[in-house]
Amino acid sequence: MDGGLVGPAPGGQEAELTAGTRIEPGRSYGFFTDTTLCIGCKACEVACKEWNNLPADNLGLTGHSYDNTGRLGAHTWRHVTFLETGTRATEMPPYQSNWLMMSDVCKHCDPAPCLEACPTGALFRTEFDTVVVQQDICNGCGYCVPACPFGVVELAPEDGKAHKCTLCYDRLKGGLEPACAKACPTDSIQFGVVEELVERAEARVGTLREQGQADAYLYGTPGAPGATGGLRRLNAFFLLTDRPERYNLPPAPSRPARNARPAFLSGLATMAGLALAAVAIGVGRR
Amino acid sequence: MSVTIRHPALPPGVQQEWRGETYHGRPVTKASSFDWKVSFYIVTLGIAGAAQVIAALARTQHGGAGLARRARLLALGGSIVGPLVLIRHLKTPRRWYNMLRILRPTSPMSLGSWLLAGFGGLSGLTALGAVFGRRSRLARRVADAAQGPAAVAGAGMGIYTAGLLASTSSPVWAAAPAPLAAQFGAASMAGAASALALAQRAAGETASARRLETLAMLATGVELLASRATERAWAAKGLERSITSGAPAVLNTLGGKAVGVALPIAAHGIGRAAGGRAGALLPELASLAVILGGAAMRHAVLLAGNDSACRPEHVFRTTQAARPGGVRR
Repeated sequence: MDGGLVGPAPGGQEAELTAGTRIEPGRSYGFFTDTTLCIGCKACEVACKEWNNLPADNLGLTGHSYDNTGRLGAHTWRHVTFLETGTRATEMPPYQSNWLMMSDVCKHCDPAPCLEACPTGALFRTEFDTVVVQQDICNGCGYCVPACPFGVVELAPEDGKAHKCTLCYDRLKGGLEPACAKACPTDSIQFGVVEELVERAEARVGTLREQGQADAYLYGTPGAPGATGGLRRLNAFFLLTDRPERYNLPPAPSRPARNARPAFLSGLATMAGLALAAVAIGVGRR
Repeated sequence: MSVTIRHPALPPGVQQEWRGETYHGRPVTKASSFDWKVSFYIVTLGIAGAAQVIAALARTQHGGAGLARRARLLALGGSIVGPLVLIRHLKTPRRWYNMLRILRPTSPMSLGSWLLAGFGGLSGLTALGAVFGRRSRLARRVADAAQGPAAVAGAGMGIYTAGLLASTSSPVWAAAPAPLAAQFGAASMAGAASALALAQRAAGETASARRLETLAMLATGVELLASRATERAWAAKGLERSITSGAPAVLNTLGGKAVGVALPIAAHGIGRAAGGRAGALLPELASLAVILGGAAMRHAVLLAGNDSACRPEHVFRTTQAARPGGVRR
C-alpha cells in the first residue's frame, strides 16, 4: 500500500529521513553534484528511468569509455560522463583521480533560457523553483531545444513534446527526495535547499583543498563559471576538478534572450531606412 | 547586476586556457528541429510584411492605387499560406493555438506569434480595400485605417525571425544578432519589391515596376553589406565551417550570392543599358532571382545554425567569455 517507500517520520516527510531536508513550497530546491564522490555506478540513471517510466534509448556502444548513455535527452534525464585521463598513477589523490565522472542533469537555471523561450507557457517555474514542461500544453514547437545552453531539452519523436528532468516534481509534492539523489550510494548527488547546498558545497571545496586537492571548484553557483552572461545561478550545480569542457559543460554560457534586443533594433532600423529610400525613389508613383 | 567572467575563475591548478578539448567530441547543445518549412515561413512572411510597408507608401502617392491593391493582396496571401506551412512544422500541430495562450516578452517566438496574429488580421482588413475598395467607401476607409498599423507590423514580420534565431544557444545564429537582422530585413524588402515589380509588369505599369526594381537592387546591396558583417563575425569567432561546407555552403554561395545578388545586378544592368530592346524578360528574370536567392540565403543560415549546434568546438569557442549585458529578472 505504501509503494515500498520509507514511511514518513512522525509528523514529517520521507525527505527529512533521506536528505535531511523538509520540502516546502516557496523555497528553492536543487542538486549539488559532487564529482569527486562519483563512482560511475549509474544508479542515478536507472533510478530516474524507473521512477519516471522513461523508455530505453541509445542502445549500443559509443566507444567513449564507460559512457554508453551518450547524452541527456527526451528519455535520459541523468547522464554519467566518463573521461579517462592520463596514464595509470602510482600515487592517488584522495578522490577519483585518473577518471573524471560526473552525473549530468538539467541545471534548472535561474533565469532558465528554455522557459524564457517557450511561447506556450508549457515550461514553467514551480513552487520549488524548478523548471518543468507541462505535457498537456507543449505543442512541440521545439524552440526550447536550441535555447538551452547545455543541450538538455529534447523533443520526443514518440509524442512530439519537449521532455527533460522535472527534478521529480511529483516526488517533491509528496515530500520525497528526487529519485536520483535518493539512489546515489556515495552522496555524489545531494538534494536540498539551494542556499544550504551552496554552503555545503563551499565547505566541501575547502575540505578538499585542505586534503591537497587544490583544483576543486564549483560550477553554477553565483559568480562561478556556468553562472555567467545573465544566468544568475544554476539550481543544479557541480563540483569539478578540471576544465568544464572536459565534462561537456560550457565555461561561460549566456542567456540567449539577450540577443533579441540588438536584432530587433537593427532590423527595424534597416526596414525604416529602406522605407525612406523607397520614398526617395518614388515607389508608388505611376 | 552583470556577471561577466572573461576567464572563468578556475583554480590556479586547473589548466587556464582552453586548448580545444571536448568531451569525446560529443555535441554540447542540441540542434533545433527547424527545417525547410520554417525557412519557407521566414521568406513568405518577410515578403508579406515588407509588402505592407510598400502598400502604405503607395497609398500616399498619386497613382499608386494599383500597386497598393497588389501589395495588399500579396500580404494577405503570404499571411495565409505562411502560417499554414509553419503549423505543419510543430510536432503537435493540433495544439497550434497554444501559441496564443500567453505572452512571453523574453521569447521572440511568443512575440512573433502575437505579431503574426495582428499582422494577419490587419492584412485581412487592408485586403478589404483591395477587393471591395472600388465599390464600397466603408471598405476603403477600414483598409486605409488599418494600413499604418499593418505597415508597422509588416516591418516587424520582416525582421523578427532573425531575432528568433539569434536568441538561441546555436553558435552561428547567436554570433551576430544585429547584422543578421539587417540581412533578413533587407532580403524581405528586396523580395517584396521584386515580387511586386513582377506584378506591376504583368499589369502593364512598367514605370512603377522600374522604381520597385531600383528599390530591390538597393535592398540587395544592403543585404550584401549586412551578410559580409555577419560572415566576418562568424569567421572572427571561428564558426565559418558551418557555412563553408555542405548544403549551407552551396545554398549561401550559389543561391544567396550568385542567384540572389550577382545575377539580378547583371540582368538589371544589361536590361537598363539595352533600354527597351531587352524587353521585360531580363528584369523579370532578375526579380525572380532576388526572391529565390533571398530564400536560399535564409535556408543556408537556418541549416548552418543547426550544424553549428552539433559542433562542440563551436559551442566552446563562443562560451569562453560570457556575452555582455545585465541580468533581467
